[in-house]
Amino acid sequence: MIKYSLLTILFFTQLIISDSLYNFENAADEKRFYNLIKEIRCPKCTSGSLASSNAPVSVDIKEKIIELIKEGKTDKEIKEYIALRFGNSVLYNPGFNQDTYFLWIAPFAILFISMTFYYFRRRIK
Amino acid sequence: MISVFRFFIFAVPVSLLSFLYFFINDNDYYPGADFTVSEMPAFELNALYDNSIISNSDLKGSYLINVWASWCITCRIEHGFLVRLDAQNIPIVGLNYKDDKDDAIEWLSKYKDPYGLIIHDFSGSLALDMGVTGAPETFLVKDGKIIAHFSGEVNKRIWSDLFVPVIKKEKVKWNDQI
Repeated sequence: MIKYSLLTILFFTQLIISDSLYNFENAADEKRFYNLIKEIRCPKCTSGSLASSNAPVSVDIKEKIIELIKEGKTDKEIKEYIALRFGNSVLYNPGFNQDTYFLWIAPFAILFISMTFYYFRRRIK
Repeated sequence: MISVFRFFIFAVPVSLLSFLYFFINDNDYYPGADFTVSEMPAFELNALYDNSIISNSDLKGSYLINVWASWCITCRIEHGFLVRLDAQNIPIVGLNYKDDKDDAIEWLSKYKDPYGLIIHDFSGSLALDMGVTGAPETFLVKDGKIIAHFSGEVNKRIWSDLFVPVIKKEKVKWNDQI
């Protein structure tokens, strides 16, 4: 009988122990954290976000982000901190700087050139 | 007028391509190399052998920092070249990255120790501050500024292609204390 009751306990009991992976002081901080890790690339992966990665360096960066959030740093400061160390390519949303100006301006420039071209072509006909 | 437009059909793509070639093309690109100058971050960590505290004030002048670990296979491949650099009296500071202390010491006694000073960074805090994504990585530091950073194995070719030009250009004088 004891054997059966022990087996019953073994098979029909579920022990669920859980704690949040990361602890935050308030819900707003937690939301900021989850937004930030979606916007920052994992430096070790082929274009996966920090959120998608368990690479050792991503785990470290995530812990650093929490530390910086607790220190009261803004999202912009946190992104700058990481971009300074791992390069601008870790940011999914590229800023407007010397390396990216062509990226931002080119579509408008090409649109402008083709519109002008089209306009004059119609006038010649 | 039409001839002007015929000219444009030719000129617009050509100017675009030449713009891309001359302004966007980066001839110096080398995967894993980074020459942006940044400050050497402040730190206070234990030495690998004797647990004494090492901080920025112990590192003066110019030296290399090599990030390695006993679990890192590429570090083993790179090791022979570091031993040769050490034989040329180039000061190398070892940054032992996320490694078990005993394993690291055993590894060094087995394969020779090219490092003048070894920082034991168990949590990877200094490495994170320096932008290390894995091991091995090598930094060239001059007067508290990182002037070259290479992620991956440093060998004869990488050394002569990437480090030697910077060393010559910046007139690096090695720290002979390390």
